Parts: sequence; structure tokens; C-alpha cells
Amino acid sequence: MTAAPGERPLLALRGVELGYGRAPVLAGVDWEVRAGEFWFLLGPNGSGKTTLLRAILGLLPPRRGTLARDPARAGRAQIGFVPQRCDMNPALPTTVREVVTLGLVGVPHARAERPARIARALALVGLDGFAERSFWALSGGERQRALVARALVRRPSLLILDEPTESLDVTSEAAFLDSLAALHRDERVSVLFVTHRLWIAERFASHVALAWRGALVAGPRDATLAHAHAAAAFGSALRARAGAAAEQRA
Amino acid sequence: MIETFVASWPLFRDTYLVGTAIAFVLSLVGVWVVARDQLFLGAAISQASTLGIALLLWLETLGAAAAAPWLASESAAAACAVAASVTTALATARPAPPGRESAEARTAWVFLLAASLPVLLLAHSAHGLEEVHRLMFSTLLGSTPRDVARFAALALATAAAVAAYRSRLVLFAMDPEMAAAVGVPTRRAGAAIAVWLGVAIGASIHVSGLVYTFGCLVLPALAAKNLCREVRPVLWLAPLLAVATAAAGFVVAHHWDLPPAHATVTGLCAWVALGWLVRRRD
Repeated sequence: MTAAPGERPLLALRGVELGYGRAPVLAGVDWEVRAGEFWFLLGPNGSGKTTLLRAILGLLPPRRGTLARDPARAGRAQIGFVPQRCDMNPALPTTVREVVTLGLVGVPHARAERPARIARALALVGLDGFAERSFWALSGGERQRALVARALVRRPSLLILDEPTESLDVTSEAAFLDSLAALHRDERVSVLFVTHRLWIAERFASHVALAWRGALVAGPRDATLAHAHAAAAFGSALRARAGAAAEQRA
Repeated sequence: MIETFVASWPLFRDTYLVGTAIAFVLSLVGVWVVARDQLFLGAAISQASTLGIALLLWLETLGAAAAAPWLASESAAAACAVAASVTTALATARPAPPGRESAEARTAWVFLLAASLPVLLLAHSAHGLEEVHRLMFSTLLGSTPRDVARFAALALATAAAVAAYRSRLVLFAMDPEMAAAVGVPTRRAGAAIAVWLGVAIGASIHVSGLVYTFGCLVLPALAAKNLCREVRPVLWLAPLLAVATAAAGFVVAHHWDLPPAHATVTGLCAWVALGWLVRRRD
């Protein structure tokens, strides 16, 4: 399920530099995401994963270089986004249906097609029959799947997930990842999954991008995972060395 | 009871209409305040409006009105109240960056400053202190046809804005991060809502006082959110509760010769208590 040769990429970054203050968070980023690919964006905390995501979502303009999105397939209306955590006020009453419906903001659609879109999105994440339930009565894993349904109701070409399994237990995480893989396979949705857990990428990725020390290494899974393992080992060695130095000082 | 209320209509028409329009406007704006859990911000903005009016009265005591007679006008008082509340809303609505003072701390500072400074400024002005007490105590009596026109326009504009941007507003209130991701200009929307909040509160405080303004801002939305299963119906139930309770409050207040603002706010408090009971059973 890869893109046809010569097909225009959904996302194309050329020489992109991103940052907030004087020092760049990421620089010299060259990266292409094509239809049908399942990308994992890896990297330790503070490596620039969320910064890159913000740029892709159009929330942070690049300081240098170009970030192009295919307007027909990766415009705002064609991107589904699942945030790392649910930032909603738990004192507010809301149902699964309302949460999913709000995913349609900014998507041109006929009002009559809403129920079908919502039912389909809920079915895709295994939450059929949950529409009328209170969002707050769901388990953590079910809430996360409802947020994925909120992204899927847009019928996206590209689904972006920012560490969506961080707050899930092992069982919920496994179920969530399996449903995501099925979605990618059956619905032909391109996926960009941000995480710092290597094992997830090893199991599900077709491609991997690694944010590390201000740069981005991106490519097919096995080649890039070798970099990721090296980076993880290097990070562990650095941490061990810092710990030993601290012990020595003590 | 109703007959005597109807008989009082020609005399208190402006008061009733203004009170109803204020209840409608503030209850709609209040949905955003309640949704973002910023109730204290509403209190601080209301209090800051009294500081704006107190500053104007203080300038009058210094003789400024002799040099600029327009300072003594009702419009100048309304403008000062709106300016103070809009400034407060803009200054306190944005979340603080890490390491800086929180928005809640800034709000508390504004509230306490705005509660104490007017009394200090006007401590030696009998008229000024009486005006501050009037604002604190709340009274709707004395509304003018100009107030009716002003609040009718504000009510229409608020209803039109909410109708036009309903889904975006609900998403922004519920989940700002998601709203930004789907293209809602959250920074501009936040600033626009803060200005609207400031204008609504500032215009209202001058006419109706602190208790009625703050009560109509937060109580209808609090009650409605406990009576609804979703956020979107809150946008019509909150103003409905506010307008119906204001009308009932005016009837009751007229019949038993009570202050209408306090009768209305007590009625709204009853709706909130009922909402808690309903939600507990849910």
C-alpha cells in the first residue's frame, strides 16, 4: 500500500528550520510523507517532535525552508489530529457523539450526512453504540479511541497522532494500536504517529523519522531504526556517564 | 400578582427591558467563562468595572469635570467601566507561560485591587462612596431608553455571533488545542471573546451593579450545564433560564417590593442547586 511512483507527496519539507527563541529546535529538515505510508516520528523528550508536528499542522511557520502540503489531500480539512491528552474540562457535560461531531469543524459537508459520518467513525474505532454515552463515563482507552473517531470523522488522508498511548495501560495500548493498524490497512489512511517508544515503531511502522540533536533522519523503517537504536544506546551511555560523574562528586 | 406587574409596565418598562437584555447577553457570554472554568475571572472583571467608574468619580472630585464637562456624563461612566473591564479581560484571560505568575494569581490581584482602591479613592467623597455602594449593592432602577437601545443592540450582536460561529466557539471552549489544529484562529478568538466579555460586563455593571452582572454571567451557564448532557444545548438553555428567571424575578420583586436584581439572582441560584440535584441522580 505505497504511493505510486511520481505521485505528489502529502507533505514535503525542504531545508526546514523550526524554533521558538534564538536557537533552532530542528534545522535542515528534508522529509517527504507519501500516501499509504505509516510513519513513526521518534525521539527523546525535547528533541523537537511536537515542534515539528505543530509546523505540519500549520501552527508554527518555518523560520527557513519550505513546508508544502498537497492542498487536495493534506489541506487542513484532510488532516485528522489526535492530541497527546484530552484538554477538555471534565466538569462540562458531553457525549461521545458531541465530541466526534466537533471533529467536523472546518470540514465542508452537508448536515444530512453527519449521522452517517459519525456512525462510520465510531465503528472504525470499535465504539459502535457508544454515541449517546457520556464521554466522561468511558475508560481511558475508550476516550482515546473516541478522540481518534473525532479525527476520522473528517475522512482524513493523513492522520496525525501525538503520543496517543501515553496515558493508556498495556492492554488498552495494544488494542488501540491494533485498531490503528487495521485502519491504515483497510481505509488507506496515511498515519504519522509520534512516540518515543521504539518497540511500537518496530512492530507497526513502514517508515521512521528520528528527531535527534537538532536534526531529523527519515527513511524506511529498518534503516532508520538502526539510527534510533544507536541514538537510544548513546543516550543511555550519556545518562550512565552523567550518573557515574555525579556519584564520584558525591 | 401578574396584573399589578402589568400595571407597573409603563413606569418600569426600561428597567425590565434592560434587565432582560443584560440577562440574555451575559448568560451567553458566561457559557464561555463556565466552559473554561474561569468563574473568578468574571468576578474580577466585574469588580474592575467598578474601579473604572470610581476613577472617573475621583477625577471629578479633583475638579476635572469643570475643565471637561463630558466627564460627568453617563456615557463617560459607561465608557470607563467598559475600558477597565476590557483591559482586565485581555490582561488576565491568557494563560501564563511557564515560570510566570499564573492567570489565576493575576485575576486575584485585580479583584482585590479593584475592590479596595475605589473605597480609598472616594473615602472623602460622600457622592462617590454612595455610587460605589450602589454598584456593589446592585439596582436596575433608573435605566433609560438609551440603555434599552444599547443592550438590545448588544443582545442582537451577541446572538448573531454565537449563531454564526457556534461549532467553532464550542470546540474552542472545550478543547483549544484541537480548535487550533483544525484552523480556528485561537489567539484572535480568545482576544475577541475577552473584549466581548469586557464590553458586556462593563456596560452591564454601570446599569445593574455587581451582584446582577456577576450572577447573570455565571449562574445560568452553571445551571444549564448541569441540566444538559452536551455543551451545545447549553448555548440556548442558559439564555432561556436567564431571561425567564429575570422576568419571574421582576414580577416577584414588584409584588413584594423587593430589589429585582437580588430576586433574579436568588432565582438563578435555585436553578443551579436544582442542576446539581439532577446531575447527582444522572
